[in-house]
Amino acid sequence: MRRKFQLGERVRVRDATTLFHTRTQAFTRGRTGVVVENRPEWVIPEDEAWGRDDGRTEPFYVVRFRQRDLWPDYTGFDVDTLETEVSERWLEPAGKEQR
Amino acid sequence: MSSDHDHDHDHAPIQEAPEIDEFEVLETAVRELSIEHGLFSAEDHRRFSEWAQSIGPTGGSRLVAKAWVDSEFKQRLLADGTTASEEIGIDWHDPTGTGTPSDYTYFYVLENTPEVHNTIVCTLCSCYPRPVLGMSPEWYRTPHYRRRMVRWPREVLAEFGLHLPPEVEVRVHDSNQKSRFMVMPMRPEGTDGWSEDQLAAIVTRDTMIGVALPQVSWTASAAPSEPTSSA
Repeated sequence: MRRKFQLGERVRVRDATTLFHTRTQAFTRGRTGVVVENRPEWVIPEDEAWGRDDGRTEPFYVVRFRQRDLWPDYTGFDVDTLETEVSERWLEPAGKEQR
Repeated sequence: MSSDHDHDHDHAPIQEAPEIDEFEVLETAVRELSIEHGLFSAEDHRRFSEWAQSIGPTGGSRLVAKAWVDSEFKQRLLADGTTASEEIGIDWHDPTGTGTPSDYTYFYVLENTPEVHNTIVCTLCSCYPRPVLGMSPEWYRTPHYRRRMVRWPREVLAEFGLHLPPEVEVRVHDSNQKSRFMVMPMRPEGTDGWSEDQLAAIVTRDTMIGVALPQVSWTASAAPSEPTSSA
């Protein structure tokens, strides 16, 4: 499967309605970060949660967020970051917009 | 209240058997059915539990020590933790080998540098690199650690006694999908010429979770002496 996002690209986690199991943390939704690593194509949690080990697969990415972009009142320092893995369906291009 | 409980305070009664949660009920039900159907015996289960719970952080300590003395191994470890683990006999794919059963076999080692300090957490549950670190400490699984480590990492590290300067990036890794992470701390000063075994002894569990830094005088097996007073 061709990857939709490239390393270094700014992406936003979709603030989508969720039902059931997604493994996409609420605190990342609507937040903008940068793709820093590729992960393999894995079965998405939305299918795997139902025991569908042969469910839909898609590329995963490691997204790095600035802590200040996750938490407006973050009490640490500007350099601090958080990384987590996100499936392609949960990401959209962030373009040049800065949060 | 029992007649011998006559001291003068008003705490709630201490329950001898706290309620078990639904996952424990589920585990017990599946285990008993499995035994009933002859999939394994109660003794098989006991032996496996004993073995799985006895795996400590030794594997992780050895990986870090080996990487400290062998730069080529370090590159292999950082490039592919799962494969590099095999070099010290840890097979993430083989549940009956030295690995623990898991379909989460993507293992990544996070290298600390003078600029970046890594730390691990799982906000969704308690994901942990068990084949190399064994069972996670109790505090790692608590909502208290999980929700606060992503939100107030500097404060949580300070509670562990770790204060990092403002210019060091604290990078929190939330293991929410299939990957498992372990921190490779920096080799401390004063360890020149140390053997791999000597080095492994100071790479304790907490240094690989990222809530502590290795110290030349600290090992996991040596009991802490008198509390150290801060200057």
